[in-house]
Amino acid sequence: MIEVIDLSYTYPDGTTALRDVSLKISDGELVAIMGPNGAGKTTLVKHFNGLLKPSKGKVLVDGVSTDKMTVAELSRKVGFVFQNADHQLFAETVEKEIEFTLKNLGFQENLEELKVKALEEFDLLKYREKSPFSLSGGERKRVALASVLCANPKTIILDEPTAGQDIIQKNNLLELIRRFNSEGKTIVIVSHDIEFIVDLNPRIIVLVSGRVLCDGSVQHVLTNKSILEYSSLTPAQITEFAWRLCEEWTPLPRNIVTVDQLLAALKEHIIGGGL
Amino acid sequence: MSFNIFEAFKYRRKKTFIHSLDPRTKLALALGVSALSIIFTELIVLLIIFLSLVPLLLIAKSIKEWTSTVKGLTLLIVFILFVNIIFNGLSFAISMVLRIFSLITAFSLFFLTVHPDELSQALIQMKIPFSFAFAMSMAIRYVPTIANEAQTIREAQMSRGLELEKGGFTQRIKNFIPIIIPLIVSSIRRAISIAESLESRGFGAYPNRTYLLPLKMRKRDYTVLITLLAAIIISVIIKFVVGLPPLLLLSIPF
Amino acid sequence: MPLIEFKNVSFKYGDAESYAIKDINLKIDEGEFILLTGSTGCGKTTLIRCINGLIPHFHQGALEGEIIVNGYSTTECTVAFLSTIVGIVFQNPENQLVSLNVLRELAFGPENMGIPREEINKRIMEVAEKLELKHLLDKTPIELSGGEQQRVAIASALTLKPRILLLDEPTANLDPKSAKMIIELLDTLNKSLNLTIIVIEHRLELLMDYVNRVILMENGRIIADGKPSEVLYSHEAERSGVNIPRLIRFFKKLKELNPKLISNPVTIREGVEALKKVSE
Repeated sequence: MIEVIDLSYTYPDGTTALRDVSLKISDGELVAIMGPNGAGKTTLVKHFNGLLKPSKGKVLVDGVSTDKMTVAELSRKVGFVFQNADHQLFAETVEKEIEFTLKNLGFQENLEELKVKALEEFDLLKYREKSPFSLSGGERKRVALASVLCANPKTIILDEPTAGQDIIQKNNLLELIRRFNSEGKTIVIVSHDIEFIVDLNPRIIVLVSGRVLCDGSVQHVLTNKSILEYSSLTPAQITEFAWRLCEEWTPLPRNIVTVDQLLAALKEHIIGGGL
Repeated sequence: MSFNIFEAFKYRRKKTFIHSLDPRTKLALALGVSALSIIFTELIVLLIIFLSLVPLLLIAKSIKEWTSTVKGLTLLIVFILFVNIIFNGLSFAISMVLRIFSLITAFSLFFLTVHPDELSQALIQMKIPFSFAFAMSMAIRYVPTIANEAQTIREAQMSRGLELEKGGFTQRIKNFIPIIIPLIVSSIRRAISIAESLESRGFGAYPNRTYLLPLKMRKRDYTVLITLLAAIIISVIIKFVVGLPPLLLLSIPF
Repeated sequence: MPLIEFKNVSFKYGDAESYAIKDINLKIDEGEFILLTGSTGCGKTTLIRCINGLIPHFHQGALEGEIIVNGYSTTECTVAFLSTIVGIVFQNPENQLVSLNVLRELAFGPENMGIPREEINKRIMEVAEKLELKHLLDKTPIELSGGEQQRVAIASALTLKPRILLLDEPTANLDPKSAKMIIELLDTLNKSLNLTIIVIEHRLELLMDYVNRVILMENGRIIADGKPSEVLYSHEAERSGVNIPRLIRFFKKLKELNPKLISNPVTIREGVEALKKVSE
């Protein structure tokens, strides 16, 4: 469980990135942090594994304050996957890339077992002897994921995982997140990819100028015009379509976000033979 | 990590008389003052040189940046002071410190008030090849970008349990490998994409390149340069021909 | 005569075993606004690098066939010469803004071309006006937001007065609102300057209101090319794993339920009209 209590953070150069943020993420939750660039999203999640320590307030991971623990200690509980795989990969082989994390985090007797599990999980067994630099972009992304998640952390943080990814890669990621989440892991994802978030259907926390603007479901947050406006987000295409249908054609609920919801809402029209 | 020392050497956008001078004038000023403070060893003269720079700092509204550098260099200055007191006596020690102050001030005045683009333009007009001058200004442009990237990589590896402070000396050096390699790889990628972008806008394609903002010496530049030249000539004559008046030879008697 | 023409073009990068693009035949007319899409590694970026001469002059390899841009064969001109016909904007603006302020960035291309000072100043003012950059002219790239940086990158291509603008995932690093603003800007440039635009983008829904044509690639080949409604409702689009906008997925499902629905809407406006019409 992650508890954030009155957290404020000011960078050494004097810019305040977070102001009095309080929130709680329970075990097994699926949470998206959204908001405009520079709103403090990444700054917030960097507190979860201790990369940043609060200027004011507290961050508790499983009840223990993060300033009492090192990043390495916290990383066994909270895995942080950075946006760009190229910022992580350096080893001669994919296998060594994973060993690096496991050794650093103090896994010894079950190192081999965890390594093979990670290689299998991310479909990397066939590349175990290969250099990460010889792989394609999508494969490197999988190595980066494996190199953090091999330690089997209870909480997973993903910073902008879909940036520059095509739909096949996005769908793989979607499936992966769902699988980990169904295994009971807590997932925190920083993103402004609206359509991806709609598919994922997480709880959404919106940050604007270092404060929590709102906290709620996809249907609540992404269909609220003023929240979208304040947070530089745009409605999902289906939401916008439903709103326009509503204005110009027939009454519909305001909180439609998926294709299936729209079809369901139009059910009467379809059965009635109009459509 | 503290970058305070560099504060006095980072350009600040301001509108002052000093900022408006041609970079070549300011370069001459920095070199001229340095020459003077090296020619003279007398305490009083060095004090005069240093004090004459203070008004320039005031005009350039750069006292604050200058102070932070001096603070950053306190340790070095104290060290020089003590070593010289022990070996050469107090008077010489203070002279040395004043000389260092003058040198720091002269050059920080230059870097604080000369935009890197102006500097490269000045180099071009001093017949340094364009590609060289451009490379220099681009290096300055990308320092913060690469520094940010290095920080991100460090955090990414810390999130995989990397502890930089762990182990003995050799281990500590090894600890940097997971940071250095990604930094090199991404810098190479970046360099290629920068090159693509330069190439796509005709970089270096034609010998007769236009310079949109050529530097021009103005009346104020000539005024400063003539004053500087006069000061140097007079000083040299006094030092080597006439001899310094007794007042300027005063020193602390131990 | 088309503005851009590919005649049986194939290209293999120097150290690669397989072709990055294969047997490309393509004609593009002046004033078109084209979306180029396909999964990662399908050859989109290679294709646009051929148009401004980065291939074969900067990225070396085996080029077959011929690419004609504005009447010139690209193999016979330099990238610098082509830059006055074709502007290019890449994904990461950080790597395109090489100067320490916006004014110098806009001047960079024309300066390299040896264009007279008065003319450069005139162009900078025109472009800065059009792209609303006047208040940013003395800012350094680091002081700009991602959206502003990308606008400056576009502007610095436009000061060379190209007739074609190529953009490689220009919105990948931007938040949704900034992304939308960049696409709207492209639309304005397309209409007001009759600028031919080819944009590579994964988020197709961003562009549906604006483009007249979609080119879909897979494994180095063009597998569909036509109006958005033709390409995005095609089997090829379904099969190649392109990110089909939700509106189109909705209509595909609806059409299975109701065979009377025959139109293929791609924009929200068309979607509303289609439902209104069929329900009458």
